[in-house]
Amino acid sequence: MTMLPIFEVQNVCFDYEQIPALRGLSLTIGRGQSVALLGANGSGKSTLLRLLDALCFPSRGSISFCSEPLTTEQLRSDEFALPFRRRVALVCQNPDVQLFNPTVFDEVAFGPLQMGWLSAEVVARVEETMHLMGIAHLRDRAPYRLSGGEKKRVALASVIVLDPDVLLLDEPTAMLDPRSQSQLIDLIQSWKSSSKTVITATHQLEIVEDIADRVFVLEQGSVVAAGSPQEILSDGDLLLHANLVHAHRHTHGTMTHSHPHLHSHARHEH
Amino acid sequence: MHIPDGYLSPSTCAALYAGAALGWYGGLQRIKRTLATRMIPLISVFAAFSFVLMMFNLPLPGGTTGHALGVTIASIVLGPAGSILAISIAIAIQALFFGDGGITTLGANCFNMAIVGSLVAYATYRIVAAGAEITSRRRLLAAGLAGYVATNAAAFLAAVEFGIQPMLFRDASGVPQYAPYALGVAIPAMMIGHLAIAGVAEGIIAAGLVAYLQAADPALLQSTSGLAPGATAACQPSMRHPQRRWWIAIALLLLLTPLGVLTAGTAWGEWSASSFSSAEGRARIAAASQNRPAPPVAPTGLQRLSSLWTSPVPAYAPPVLKSTSFGYFLSGMFGVGLVIMLSLALQAYLQHRRGAGQPG
Amino acid sequence: MSRNRAIAATLVSLTRALGRALISERVARQRGLLQALDPRVRVIGLFALVLAVTLSDRISVIVALFCAAVVVALLSKVSLASLAARVWLPVLFFTGVIALPALVLTPGEPILAPTGGSFPVTAQGMSAALLLIARVETAVTLTTLLILCTPWMQVLQALRAFHVPQDVVVMLAMTHRYIFLLAETAGQMFESRQSRTVGVFDGATRRRMTARTAGVLLSKSVELSNEVFLSMQSRGFRGDVRVLSAFRMRSRDYIGLVAFLVAGGVAVWIGRS
Repeated sequence: MTMLPIFEVQNVCFDYEQIPALRGLSLTIGRGQSVALLGANGSGKSTLLRLLDALCFPSRGSISFCSEPLTTEQLRSDEFALPFRRRVALVCQNPDVQLFNPTVFDEVAFGPLQMGWLSAEVVARVEETMHLMGIAHLRDRAPYRLSGGEKKRVALASVIVLDPDVLLLDEPTAMLDPRSQSQLIDLIQSWKSSSKTVITATHQLEIVEDIADRVFVLEQGSVVAAGSPQEILSDGDLLLHANLVHAHRHTHGTMTHSHPHLHSHARHEH
Repeated sequence: MHIPDGYLSPSTCAALYAGAALGWYGGLQRIKRTLATRMIPLISVFAAFSFVLMMFNLPLPGGTTGHALGVTIASIVLGPAGSILAISIAIAIQALFFGDGGITTLGANCFNMAIVGSLVAYATYRIVAAGAEITSRRRLLAAGLAGYVATNAAAFLAAVEFGIQPMLFRDASGVPQYAPYALGVAIPAMMIGHLAIAGVAEGIIAAGLVAYLQAADPALLQSTSGLAPGATAACQPSMRHPQRRWWIAIALLLLLTPLGVLTAGTAWGEWSASSFSSAEGRARIAAASQNRPAPPVAPTGLQRLSSLWTSPVPAYAPPVLKSTSFGYFLSGMFGVGLVIMLSLALQAYLQHRRGAGQPG
Repeated sequence: MSRNRAIAATLVSLTRALGRALISERVARQRGLLQALDPRVRVIGLFALVLAVTLSDRISVIVALFCAAVVVALLSKVSLASLAARVWLPVLFFTGVIALPALVLTPGEPILAPTGGSFPVTAQGMSAALLLIARVETAVTLTTLLILCTPWMQVLQALRAFHVPQDVVVMLAMTHRYIFLLAETAGQMFESRQSRTVGVFDGATRRRMTARTAGVLLSKSVELSNEVFLSMQSRGFRGDVRVLSAFRMRSRDYIGLVAFLVAGGVAVWIGRS
């Protein structure tokens, strides 16, 4: 795989009101890679995704996208900002934040309209995307009338309508039932095969192998490990330290012991 | 306090829509300048918050329950311009979507609660809290008082709007066409409920929310505190920005306009030359002048001067309106509107001058 | 129990508000007279009739407009029973209570003396009370018809056509959307408080708890607005929201518009002569 970098993050620091969220974080993501950012809540995954989407900017360090630095000044010019917004898409953890339009149709149409596409084109693309995501029957529905899974599908539709090159997903499987979860994983895998760059932040270890070729482990605002999914998932101590697995005492039949493990698919991994 | 359709005459509604439109325009311009692109989500969510807050049933001292408007906390967090917009939007949605509150009276309701309410709440808060630290107890008192005063100011305006209806709009046989109670009944009837219940509810919620923010998120109280960011001492003057004084002055002016209608007869000295020649006119002059008889002919100086200039709005009443006292009311509104426009122009000019010396 | 009455009352208001929205959606989907007209025609037409109601001085004209409203309601598949429950009875009650003292307080010729002469009911008082009730009933019926038959988005698009600034329309839309989210959040907070608290609290404590709930809601609201702002930017929002343009008038819309305006005009002409 060509390692043409698409994102270069160098020594980035970011604070939320004097509380450090990212401390000297560095990583490089290649074009067309599928990456998982693993970390417990509070490790800085969401913050990093926002920085990659140029929604906030680091107090120290730098981030560049296709060798262009992402700074406040850069994003002020329509010439850079509009293509960037089209090419990089972020799907938030909380879909209510992303569904701010009155109906599903309006929501999916929002992005294309802001890009300045013509009405006929907007309508055509929106219809196509809604059919693709199986939400065409919800077109006039208001967001508060949707179930969790439907909201997620609408949120996804609202970003993929722009045909982005990069997808940033923040805990995409959170609050989804198992069937919706597997449908989402299928979708991510289809993006992988069409050489889109997919960066997923998650703490669910069981999906990592399906959605990523490369894993970065985050702990307290910096990268503590990087490697292939197999390498990372087999390192029990690392995972324990990063608060991604637990080691409580439990019982198998008549035997009681404790060791790092995670509960997944109703099985018990050793 | 929401006035439904049918209680106010169309001309009253139109005048109040005009006044409201000026407030909306001024508020929108100012908020676009201060918040820019952040305006849309911030005002919208705050309007939604205020709407939901209006549904809270608040237990009050004495065993009653009341409802708060949210106009006070909106003014304290967003400032008066943001509050004007947010509360107006909440009222508009109540009327246009939920069917609570009239559509012809939307202008009146927004004028009373969103515009005058915001300005009075903000002015009271700033005056009482002058220079106090963000976490001080004086701010709680200021917020509570602001809520109480603003609610009652809005209620008073509504009462006046009701009360002038029978005076101005009755048919030939004396049947009031709209709200049937004169000021003497309308004002006490409305004010009792608001002095005792609604004002208290709003004051309690405003103080309670400020207390909450002092602990949880004091930064939200920063922008309207009159203190420099990071300042803790109380030696800052409370009115650092001259624009704020304008808003306060305008608020007071707006409040006083309806009182002009209450004066029966003409104000002393404001007589035209023709008043002297009619018996009725002379009787009015005498009545206003402690019953001293008026001269039979207008003084020559008055006659000469009055022919020099005919104002476009002679005797404060455009010819199309039937009633002179209502004409006074309408003209007062437009006079104040002119003041608002001039002050906005002045602000814009001052900001332009200030901005010209800084990098973009 | 009285300690929970305030919370219960609040919960009722919240759920009622959410419920009303659903009813509106159902009626708006019916195929009736109003639903078939362009939303702008609906807004202008019904507003013109409301204006006619407020401009007419004759109660007979107002009653005629009320009958017209009932006919339009029937043709638009709005159930009269729901109108009665939603509009006619509440307005009758509230306006009736407000208008009652006017019977004796309005100066004029006495026609009845229920309290033996000291507070007679006057003819003018009777007329004033009836006129007020008729006006309010008719006006609220007309506006309710408009609201029931027009989905919120169409109301907004109609406003846009009347040159209400784009920013304001976007804010109206977004506010509406988030009212439901915040109402749900508030409802959940109150429900959990209701189930968690045991024992009777004094007034001051209850007030403090309600103020705290309001405070938490406020914090969540501000946080929500920040997140929404980022979300909008992420999808290309630069300061001016762009929307799809809306309606086209067909012949039946013009006919409907003319019908409304003529009806209103005639009503005003007769009503003020």
